[in-house]
Amino acid sequence: MTRSNWTRPLAALLLLSAALAAPAIQAQTLLNVSYDPTRELYEDYNAAFAKQWKAKTGKALTVKQSHGGSGKQARTIIDGLPADVATLALGYDIDALVTQGKLLPANWQSRLPHNSSPYTSTVVFVVRKGNPKKIKDWGDLVKPGVSVITPNPKTSGGARWNYLAAYAWALAQPGGNDATAQAFIGKLYKNVPVLDTGARGSTTTFAQRGIGDVAISWENEAFLMLDELGRDKLEIVVPSISILAEPPVAVVDKVALRRGTADLARAYLEYLYSKEAQEIIAKHHYRPRDSEVAAKYASVFPKIKLVTIADFGGWAKAQKQHFGDGGVFDKIYSP
Amino acid sequence: MRICRFGQSLLAAAVIAPLSMAQAQQPTIVDLLQRLEQQEQAIKVLERKLELKEEADATAAKSAGQVKASERGFSLQSADGKNQIKLRGVLHVDGRHMISDEVDLPDSFQVTRARPIVEGTVGGIYDFRFTPDFGQDRTVIQDAYVTGRFAPSFAVTAGKFKSPVGLERLQSATDIRFIARAFPTSLAPNRDIGFKFEGNVLDDRLNYALAFVNGSNDGGSSEAFADVDVTSDKEYVARLFAHPFAASDSFGLRGLGFGVAGTYTEHTGTAALPFLPAFRTPAQATFFRYRGGTTPTLADGERTRLAPQFYYYAGRFGLLGEYTEVSQDVSRVATTGLRSDTIDTTAWQLAASFFLTGEEASYRGYKPNSSFSVENGTWGAFELTARYQELEIDDLAFAGGADSFADPDASARKATSYGIGLNWYLSQNLKWVLNYERTSFEGGAAGGADRDDEEAVLTRVAVGF
Repeated sequence: MTRSNWTRPLAALLLLSAALAAPAIQAQTLLNVSYDPTRELYEDYNAAFAKQWKAKTGKALTVKQSHGGSGKQARTIIDGLPADVATLALGYDIDALVTQGKLLPANWQSRLPHNSSPYTSTVVFVVRKGNPKKIKDWGDLVKPGVSVITPNPKTSGGARWNYLAAYAWALAQPGGNDATAQAFIGKLYKNVPVLDTGARGSTTTFAQRGIGDVAISWENEAFLMLDELGRDKLEIVVPSISILAEPPVAVVDKVALRRGTADLARAYLEYLYSKEAQEIIAKHHYRPRDSEVAAKYASVFPKIKLVTIADFGGWAKAQKQHFGDGGVFDKIYSP
Repeated sequence: MRICRFGQSLLAAAVIAPLSMAQAQQPTIVDLLQRLEQQEQAIKVLERKLELKEEADATAAKSAGQVKASERGFSLQSADGKNQIKLRGVLHVDGRHMISDEVDLPDSFQVTRARPIVEGTVGGIYDFRFTPDFGQDRTVIQDAYVTGRFAPSFAVTAGKFKSPVGLERLQSATDIRFIARAFPTSLAPNRDIGFKFEGNVLDDRLNYALAFVNGSNDGGSSEAFADVDVTSDKEYVARLFAHPFAASDSFGLRGLGFGVAGTYTEHTGTAALPFLPAFRTPAQATFFRYRGGTTPTLADGERTRLAPQFYYYAGRFGLLGEYTEVSQDVSRVATTGLRSDTIDTTAWQLAASFFLTGEEASYRGYKPNSSFSVENGTWGAFELTARYQELEIDDLAFAGGADSFADPDASARKATSYGIGLNWYLSQNLKWVLNYERTSFEGGAAGGADRDDEEAVLTRVAVGF
């Protein structure tokens, strides 16, 4: 029996199929899963990065964005959303991708400068123009008749920063301790009529729906509210004490390796530390890490006494004590 | 009666004090405005909470899987639709009544097809299908394949699938208009195992398919060899099918499709596996086979097929036609030594259908305007069908007397058949088919006489979902 030579035609068919599929491989996409208020930032950043990526590699790039409460976004990635990069509100939410999703290594935070936080922010108050309720500091938020807007710390990273900043103020008061701080937090949340799932939702509630007397807000979100609604309608009040928020960024290794985007994802995050990106960051009212850019925009950002997450023993401890099931927030708040 | 001054004072105080208190309790404009603002805020809060609840419900709905049950089967699907699994099925129960007593075939009923079908999609791109068949008292895996749909113009299939050749063969068993597929389908391969590349190009007006498979007999499937190829010879398959007027405004042109398919292989059979077909009538009587026995006719060399084909559907009317030619190298150990030759077999059919009840005819699927319902007084859909077909085997097959490749006293050299039918679609999923088929022959009887004509009434109850 003579064997017919079918390997050459098979090889030809395979080459033909590769040629037909090749154009589909050329165009690249990246999915950036981020926290709620960074929409405008990444719209501008993505355009800048795509332009320089095309100039550097010749490849077109489309970056897709997903935004929502930081905790919710982390859960969505763990449940399978194929995020190439995660740019969330706090380190704990990215740690969850490690412990619960096994999506990236435990040393992720050391892979990029400044603990993988290309910028910082803090927490301030936004009040109606003229400050009719005379809000000056955290203590004014628990007065009767004051309605406070802040998101749900169970889902929102920004809300957790807000909560910890309030807690830090309570601890710093004369005679302040955990008991008095928890009592203060309890009174504060009694004045919260609506709990949005994320910071952008709270912005909508306060600025567009006109609900509440004061919004506890990301600093960048506060500036955005003034820019969009008008400085004749709202004003920023800087509290006496706040918290240094360090939103981190990370490549989601398991997804990036599977999609073949590991190098691209790494370059995408590294570019956040470039001068061009730091300018974009500052223009969107985030506090840049680059010292030159920070000096250029120093007058924009108020000087505030800031605590850090280290003052709470780190995120793992803070999450467990305050925001985990059965934590302080569960004890002091009931819908 | 004089009221003392003290009493007057008391009286005045009793009247004035409540009035003053009432005035003091009356809300001021500022109070009222504050209360109004509080009410407005309360309403806004309620509205916002409702808005957030609706957003949360919408988000939850997006991530929830869906279970569906419909006339298309049962399915479980992810919220984004990219992952799904479907359970479908086909059940055909056939009946045969032979009108012609001369033909030695019993009247009978049989379950021709009993196929649970499991199919689905993974990741929005990869389709799979698994179809076991328990009909005719046997278990066969009809389909077992995975298709990667990488682009509308490019899909790759691996596994066991219908070889892309015969037009009627490629039509689903639930959509064919007659109980028995026609003679050209007897020359085209059925299922085979291998790889297939296909796609739609030119704005979906042209479909191409290229396949590289083990190589099935005429009308046969790879399970004839227990789904395992016994030779290294493979078959190349190519098909082009065009719908040049698919987007035309002209009603009369839109339903025209035509194309051509071809296959090529080299096969060498053995006594155990000759790699040669037998042909049957619509009533399933075998009217042609190559010689068997101790010196059987074997496939020995090239086999090529060419199959031009077309269909046309316009409104209620449908027409399907195909011509298939097979050129097969054969050999047989004869009394004079090894005989070899090339046998050409041709077949063609023209089948028409017409919906009496106004439904639109099509190659794929049908949707009756009503279902049969005694309660509602509706009858479902009725369709008339008619078909003419021929199959002719090369005279060379019968030349050589006792050394011929086929016995002219047992195998006919030509079969001509016409059939008429009525299809009653009781619902989207249930139809009843009635066919009358008459087949006449040239040759196939002792002394070179013509085999007796065959007349049969065939019926089928078909369930498909």
